[in-house]
Amino acid sequence: MQQQTYSYLVRLWFLFNAVIALAPPIYWLADNYKAPILGMPATLFYFLIVCVSITASILYAYWEESSKGAFTS
Amino acid sequence: MMITFGIMLAFFLLLIVVLQRIRVDEHSFSTYAVGDRSFGARYQAMSFLNTWYPGAMFTAFGGMAAASGVISFYVLSYSLLTVVLMYIMAKPVWNWGKSFDLRTQPDLFALRYNSRHIRTIAALIGIVSGIPWLVLGMQALGEMFRYISLGAMSFSQAVIFGVIVIAIRQFWTVKIGMRGVVISDFFQGIMAYIVGTAMLIALIVWLVVVKDISFASLDPAKFSIPNIGSKEGPLYLFSLVLTGALGGWCWPYIFVRLFTANGVQSLKKSAALAVPLSLLFGAALLIFGMLASALPSVAGHSTEVWFIVSHEAGGLVLLGLAGVVLLAASMGHIDGNIQATGAQIANDLLGNYFKLDTRQLIIISKFGMLGLTILSSWLACMKLPALFSLAVLAYQGIIQLSVPQFLGIFWKRGNKYGAMASMTCGFLIAVTLELIYPSGLSWAYGLTSGAVALVANVFIYVALAYLLPQPKEETQRVKSLFRLAEEHGSRTNTETSTMPQAEALFLQRL
Repeated sequence: MQQQTYSYLVRLWFLFNAVIALAPPIYWLADNYKAPILGMPATLFYFLIVCVSITASILYAYWEESSKGAFTS
Repeated sequence: MMITFGIMLAFFLLLIVVLQRIRVDEHSFSTYAVGDRSFGARYQAMSFLNTWYPGAMFTAFGGMAAASGVISFYVLSYSLLTVVLMYIMAKPVWNWGKSFDLRTQPDLFALRYNSRHIRTIAALIGIVSGIPWLVLGMQALGEMFRYISLGAMSFSQAVIFGVIVIAIRQFWTVKIGMRGVVISDFFQGIMAYIVGTAMLIALIVWLVVVKDISFASLDPAKFSIPNIGSKEGPLYLFSLVLTGALGGWCWPYIFVRLFTANGVQSLKKSAALAVPLSLLFGAALLIFGMLASALPSVAGHSTEVWFIVSHEAGGLVLLGLAGVVLLAASMGHIDGNIQATGAQIANDLLGNYFKLDTRQLIIISKFGMLGLTILSSWLACMKLPALFSLAVLAYQGIIQLSVPQFLGIFWKRGNKYGAMASMTCGFLIAVTLELIYPSGLSWAYGLTSGAVALVANVFIYVALAYLLPQPKEETQRVKSLFRLAEEHGSRTNTETSTMPQAEALFLQRL
């Protein structure tokens, strides 16, 4: 039985995660930005955003697949 | 010392009770090697975490956070990205594993590339690369015992004691196999990552409220990331995160987690359960390490930060608990490593060239685990100055498996010639670069030897995929495999497989 693959949103989100976690210009920018963001240093904020985005994307992907019934035969 | 060791002894005895209650089932080698693919999401999630995050997280990465600051967050970035890879790989890998009774990572290589010898190459790279990390894990336990003995033990005595403890623990790994590893991972994981995270959050509160430490108290240099013009090179972070995320699934003891689940849904659900736990644990540990660096007692002893702060904040009881958390994390990683290596020795080395029945495979696997435990215990007790360099070298080498592994799973065109040539050349390039430039490649803008070798690795794989097209029958076989990979995955899907049974048996015999 063929199953539907991930939605475009999930694919884009996974790709976005890879870009923000890996692309050097983004972390250079965070390193150059010296003012605190939400009370924390910009580099720490950058890492937390990357980590929260990855976590949320997996939770969303699982929720989406479950709600579409992708796991039921 | 009685308090700290008493708390650890109580935990160890409780763990043995859990292990003793697990039923030994050896009706097939798959039962022994992958727990009969019977585990649900919660067991899978905890088993993944307990194998992924070793005890060294508290010493090496906690220490790195204390000594170097925010750059240590790279470990969390790649640890979470690797869960994304798990989510994406879950369906094809589990479906192939279930349909062809795959038990190890090299089994998957053999299936995808229709080659017996690739199984041997992948197994040898995995086994050899894993040994330095096993020895380091045992030595880290020695460090822990030295600290919690409050100076009563010398480093050598503590390492020997740690080795004896972990060697005793391996009795159950050898006896029960994967079922014992996964069930004990669940128990150990609760202690290491749920109790451990709760302790970390409490210690952060203690540092902020009692010691009045905040991010503003820290040296601004601790918040810098290697940038253009930095000593490490502008691509250093990119290289660390990329090789970490890809490399994670190259370790045989991590990869085999994909074969122990009872379905694709369990695997994906385990990713959804593991990822928030991983985020909380990792962020708490690294923030804790950074804040603790402001304590005078931590300066110069950053790798002991977990013990120093636990001791200062909660006395001997909290120090004993800190030891339990680290022991639980270490045991999960070491057990997983030993179990997967034993299975590979039987399945991918001897079993690849001799026809062995279930009983023989299990016996060889057990002897392999026993031999590895003795070898690594012996090495851990020796003074090996190059051990850490060897471990780094092993990591740069093993990530070369990632190209044939990931491209093989997601791209139909790759062939066995490209797979064998790319990973072998990548491995040799990484090792050569590491030997020529042991302190880093100054001309590579921060790229590690493994990352540079990956470029050559991908080029060889892709070039040979186009230069040596697959024969027609092989193209059809690979297409069938990919169709199968897209099927709905559950414990009962074998009967509906689109691959002819005869071909499945043929592939399995490779």
